[in-house]
Amino acid sequence: MKCLWLFPGQGGQHSGMLEEVDSDLKKQVESWTNVKLLDSEEGYQDSQQIQLSILLLQVDQIDKLKCKGWKPDLVAGHSLGVFGAAYAADVIDKEDVFKLVSLRAKLMQNSYPSGYGMGVVVGLSRSEVADIVAKVHSKDEPVYLSNQNSELQNTLSGKISAIKESLQLAKENGASKVQLLRVPNPSHSPLMQKVAARLEKEVGPIALHQPQCIYLANNNGHPVKDVNDISYDLANNLIHPVFWETMINVALEYQPQVSIEFAPGTAFSKLLKAKTDQLSIITLQNMSVDDADYLLNKWKGKYND
Amino acid sequence: MTERNWHSHRDAKNARLSSALSLLDGKFAKTKDVVKVLETLIKPGDKVVLEGDNQKQASFLSAALTKVDPEKVHDLHMIMSSISRPEHLDIFDLGVASKMDFSFAGPQSTRVSQMIADGTMKVGDIHTYLELFGRLFIDLIPNVVLVAADKVDREGNLYTGFNTEETPTIVEAAAFHDGIVIVQANEVVDKLPRIDIPSGWVDVVIPADKPYQLEPLFTRDPQAITELQILMGMMAIRGIYEKHHVQTLNHGVGFNTSAIELLLPTYGEQLGLKGKICRNWELNPTPTLIPAIESGWVDSIHSFGGEVGMEKYIAARPDIFFVGKDGTMRSNRALGQVAGQYACDMFVGSTLQIDQWGNSSTVTHGRLSGFGGAPNMGSNPTGRRHSTPAWQSLKPDDDPLAKGQKLVVQMVQTFGSNKKPVFVDHLDAEEVRKEAKLANVPIMIYSEDTTHIVTEEGIAYLYKTDSMEERKAAIEAIAGVTPVGLRSDPKEVKKLREKGIVALPEDLGVRRQNAKRSLLAAQTMDDIVEWSHGLYNPPAKFRSWS
Amino acid sequence: MEKLHFTYQNTKTIEKFVHVGVVASGDLEVLLYPADETTVDIVTGSDGFKEVWKNVLNRFFDRYSLKGKFIIHDFGATPGVVNLRLTQAMEALNDEE
Repeated sequence: MKCLWLFPGQGGQHSGMLEEVDSDLKKQVESWTNVKLLDSEEGYQDSQQIQLSILLLQVDQIDKLKCKGWKPDLVAGHSLGVFGAAYAADVIDKEDVFKLVSLRAKLMQNSYPSGYGMGVVVGLSRSEVADIVAKVHSKDEPVYLSNQNSELQNTLSGKISAIKESLQLAKENGASKVQLLRVPNPSHSPLMQKVAARLEKEVGPIALHQPQCIYLANNNGHPVKDVNDISYDLANNLIHPVFWETMINVALEYQPQVSIEFAPGTAFSKLLKAKTDQLSIITLQNMSVDDADYLLNKWKGKYND
Repeated sequence: MTERNWHSHRDAKNARLSSALSLLDGKFAKTKDVVKVLETLIKPGDKVVLEGDNQKQASFLSAALTKVDPEKVHDLHMIMSSISRPEHLDIFDLGVASKMDFSFAGPQSTRVSQMIADGTMKVGDIHTYLELFGRLFIDLIPNVVLVAADKVDREGNLYTGFNTEETPTIVEAAAFHDGIVIVQANEVVDKLPRIDIPSGWVDVVIPADKPYQLEPLFTRDPQAITELQILMGMMAIRGIYEKHHVQTLNHGVGFNTSAIELLLPTYGEQLGLKGKICRNWELNPTPTLIPAIESGWVDSIHSFGGEVGMEKYIAARPDIFFVGKDGTMRSNRALGQVAGQYACDMFVGSTLQIDQWGNSSTVTHGRLSGFGGAPNMGSNPTGRRHSTPAWQSLKPDDDPLAKGQKLVVQMVQTFGSNKKPVFVDHLDAEEVRKEAKLANVPIMIYSEDTTHIVTEEGIAYLYKTDSMEERKAAIEAIAGVTPVGLRSDPKEVKKLREKGIVALPEDLGVRRQNAKRSLLAAQTMDDIVEWSHGLYNPPAKFRSWS
Repeated sequence: MEKLHFTYQNTKTIEKFVHVGVVASGDLEVLLYPADETTVDIVTGSDGFKEVWKNVLNRFFDRYSLKGKFIIHDFGATPGVVNLRLTQAMEALNDEE
């Protein structure tokens, strides 16, 4: 049974989401990072709280599934999700991954105090959005085409004023929906170069291991099996678009039979359902690990012919 | 002067087979030795055909190829009609293979694009099926072929049955030019139902650990056919099939053509067309054609390949299908493609994009899907000489030396399922040519070959146009509210309708209000099973009751 | 949800009320009433398609200049389905009772 594990990034966090998480693990994370995880609405105004809590939730679910004997054949993480993906592929150890994400969040928080962020355009193809961005972008008004979430959903990153102008143009050119996102950084664009350079330095000394499965890289959508490619992705995915659509297309070409979307959120499962009927889908946002284990056991007989 | 050795290939083949003697009992090798057999018989740089078309896959052998030692086997030049399985590309990641000549890569098109871009895979060329088969006998003569059979007897005769497809063509290219023929077999038996490939052509047989992979690719559930597709089907029957007296044809495999198949016994019957159109087919055995067959519309069907679930039905209808004495169909992709190209009056297909001039392509950004067989069948074979009413009906009347023309019909809705326009000024394929550094833009069907385009708005009779300007105007007239369609001038449309270059439903006597699902001869898979008298056995994923 | 309103200067008077289409996902219903002016009122579940609607209506009225009051309830129909329903309404006008 070939299994694809999917790890979402920021956006789905909500108060109380850590209730089921192993309390020892949570304490450990807090002591490694010196951050008390609040798991509350107020807490989730803070980037470090968000990033660490999402990673904690995912690592807890990974540990529980692995404890029951399940492992992935393919992992794909979106933005912050790359860290859960790398951990699931046995590339990075637990303590290292939390310390790295803690630093990443702090660096991101301090990088752009105001005036920068991201927007999303729905209903235009990537090349159509690229044309618009090329018209608006300048040295003083930087805006970049960033994440490719699906064929017709792409994000922009840059200065808010330039994003707004681009969104307006997109609307006039037939976009069905445009929106400024509640993200305080121009993530996944060259504007994050400083943060990435610092992370690169931090990742350097960490002992990373060869992946135990195929890792879909954010920065180019390629399937990679070499630890150096993953190391690059962990440090530098902030300066590249997340090529999610490509990552998923490639993952599906490996013909997995099962997908598991780790919490929080359900967006990726919905995208998959729209794309293929060849996949049995588990969404951990809506299901306990025990229920997932039950289903996986049931499907195992069907797929291991 | 030393005499040239005129049988060096044979010597090399014999040497390889001798070195594998310890692994062989006659022609037979053990399942567990498959990797060793491949490592012994395949040499670096060999041209290797790995059987994989879009349905049947030599999956046991392709999996084994990912386990060979790249120190021993590397830089293979793969020749594949269809890149379908992940391991077809994994062997490039592993260094076992480095070059690929292929025809279709739909199921692996993203990775193919990536591997070309990063240099993991060198592409010889992208072909149509017939071209690739042809080159196996000219300048891509294989050293080793890896194919799949259903059954093998103790002597090594092969039964490929229902899914014979391209196995004989591949084997022939190797067997008669001192290539090595390695076969995976689902089953070893004492007596075959019939012999599809004689043992003399076969060098090594390896019983597979499980049956080769087989996908039901051409089964369309009538439940998913929409009213728009029914409307387009009605227009096509009236405005093309009836108008041109189309007797011999090949259908694409989409829902548009399924709708037509299911309209023949109802709408076609009302129009009194039975016996006048659609009698001889080159077509995979699509279940949606069963009602038309049962109603007496169809005289004959030859097939490229099989279709899971149709076995018993076909066995019971040998007057219609090509069936062996044993009761199973014999398919043949190479001959099917020849028939589709030369012996059919019409090809009806579909596509993802059509440009302002009428060229069409299924290649989109980041996905290099290749061609398959559509360009063979969707082109005017200028070498054709036999005449039929349909072919003659397209003959220009102003040239004393003129001949007929094949009908090449594209049926598309103006907007695709992703809500993006199908009609575009420029095909994505133009960009892809640059990205993948191809010699030519990967166009599926050229404007010059396209005689008709059908959309939900109407039909453009492109073969009647006198100039490219008129051709563009005809396309605009039926391109809906796509950027291409919005350029259409209502006065021009009126003129084109008067000249018979554009027809809207009312011009064809088609009532849009009749485009209802109840007009389909079968509306569910259960209906099709009933039409088949219980002989059709739908694959599990199409069954509502299990 | 979005409400759209369009007016047209059309010429061909209609004689009777017509109702076509269905209330279903990916589909729409069209109610067409005789009136002295041509108005089109659309309630649609898919926001952001005003331009597309304008294009579909322009193209339809270029070919069939029907004077009447059009009420459209849209549930995410593609431009092709919209055109199918509008042209079906046009056909229904010509039907004998």
